Amino acid sequence: MTEVKKTYKHYVDGKFVRSESGKVYAIDLKKEKYEIPLTSKKDLRDAVTSSKAGFAKWNSLTMYNKSQILYRLSEMIEGNKESYISLLQQHGLTKNDSKNDVEDAVNTIIWYAGIVDKWEQLTGNLNPVAGDYFNISHQEPIGVTFSLSSDDISLNSLVKSFLPAMSVGCSVISFTNQNAVLALKLSEDINNSDFPSGSLNILTGNFENIVEDVGAHVEIRLAAIYSNISNDLLETLDVKGSDSVKRIVNLPSDEGLGSIIPFVETKTVWHPKGQ
Amino acid sequence: MNTNLSMNNIVDWTTTSDLVGNVKVDQVGVLDRVSSLATRSIKRESKLDALEKIVSMCDLTTLEGEDTEGKIIQMSSKAISPDPSDDNVPSAAAVCVYPALVSTAKKIVKDSNVKVASVSSYFPSGQAPIESKISDTQFAIDEGADEIDIVINRKAFFEGDYKKVYEEIKALKDVCGEIHLKTILEIGELKTYENIKKASVIALCAGSDFIKTSTGKISNGSSREACLIMARTVREFESYGYGIRGIKVAGGIRDAKDAIRYLVIINEELGGSWLSADYFRFGASSLLDDVLKQIKKLKTNAYQSSYYFPRG
Repeated sequence: MTEVKKTYKHYVDGKFVRSESGKVYAIDLKKEKYEIPLTSKKDLRDAVTSSKAGFAKWNSLTMYNKSQILYRLSEMIEGNKESYISLLQQHGLTKNDSKNDVEDAVNTIIWYAGIVDKWEQLTGNLNPVAGDYFNISHQEPIGVTFSLSSDDISLNSLVKSFLPAMSVGCSVISFTNQNAVLALKLSEDINNSDFPSGSLNILTGNFENIVEDVGAHVEIRLAAIYSNISNDLLETLDVKGSDSVKRIVNLPSDEGLGSIIPFVETKTVWHPKGQ
Repeated sequence: MNTNLSMNNIVDWTTTSDLVGNVKVDQVGVLDRVSSLATRSIKRESKLDALEKIVSMCDLTTLEGEDTEGKIIQMSSKAISPDPSDDNVPSAAAVCVYPALVSTAKKIVKDSNVKVASVSSYFPSGQAPIESKISDTQFAIDEGADEIDIVINRKAFFEGDYKKVYEEIKALKDVCGEIHLKTILEIGELKTYENIKKASVIALCAGSDFIKTSTGKISNGSSREACLIMARTVREFESYGYGIRGIKVAGGIRDAKDAIRYLVIINEELGGSWLSADYFRFGASSLLDDVLKQIKKLKTNAYQSSYYFPRG
């Protein structure tokens, strides 16, 4: 029987697409060598356009619906568990480590699916004021976000790079270099989980090629860097990002409530209180 | 001066009828030309010029039942100074509103070079007797409109009564006099290229200063093919010695890239002298913000957010 090899593609706007540049880079696994699309500046811009529309769609869903969709992602991964384990082994992990990693990833997703309708009760507030007013700190998602995921070969680290933002209602452009095969495989399950198109986009490539554009693009409201990048890259991102008034979070926490705080904006509302 | 012209540059009906009878359009040629023009590359500096021209050619439009005085005041202020952070961006050509809101818009723009255009003649359907259309138009003029956008009588057009279409436009041009008359063909309803050309001929012969593609009220808005056909009709009209007329494209033109393609068509078919607000306009609501966004991008080298250009 002929062996059919998969061509991995970017996941943008709910579609599987090649890089418009046609460029690829190679990832060597134990048995296979994959050619992965190399993100160009134009690919990033297209992803931003899709994320902008995706944000409106994702954020307009009720928190219960968002929660169900995230939960469904864990169901999808559970169903394809063996294939993730074998892919992680191809990356050089032991069978046991691979199994633990996939199970951890599923648990992480379920935790974030659970927090979706609860986080605002924990981070928002009714503030004490000296007057006949309610003063409420209302929390909102910041908008279109960019996330550079960690280069650890781990499904769990991968999902941790987009779940905090997604769980508060942001849309995410998730970017990865070494984890590309895993990320693009995951995009197939993302596609089956009912996420509105554009709310979660997966790009792969070399962060250096796009760092200036990530910093300068005004539509990207936040860049979260979960990977150790050089000081030069971080400085470029900071300088460009300051022009576009972007929030840049280097190595944010990837656990618990602290992980989602960077992605929220606080709006304070005054409301008169009846006597 | 051509002998077939009477007052208000109106071509007599016999000549018009001959012209309409001889309408032929090469569909394959039109599609080919439009797609080849769409691939023209525009260099950075020309692009900035083009974008600023588009702003100066914009009829900033709101034609909704929900329009309020507040919305018109806001839009008129925006037309005067589209990007308050950049003085080099020109004003828009006009604001386009319903007759009842003309005086509100006029109050805001009166000291600027922004004009007030009003739709009339029972826009967008045009299903009313000519007397009502005349009084609708007269009201808009009395309120201070500088330009009038009317719709052709599509009922008469599809019943084959071209003369009625012609007579109505002529009657409305009489009401307008010196005031610029733009006639909307509603190409989405006319559907075929020959119909578009016929309607263009009738509207121009009846004295319209501009022919306009669409009302923006049906899902099939403007198209570049229609713009090309209309541009060629305007060119033929000029070559017969009947005078220089303008074109307004409206309906569904939402981004700067698309708008630049329209400019290319006008430039290639009619020449650079048509690239001014006197002869070419965009009717737009969301286009302007996208153009402003692209201008900012060219000047700062950073892609912009609709957060700051909310309608783009």
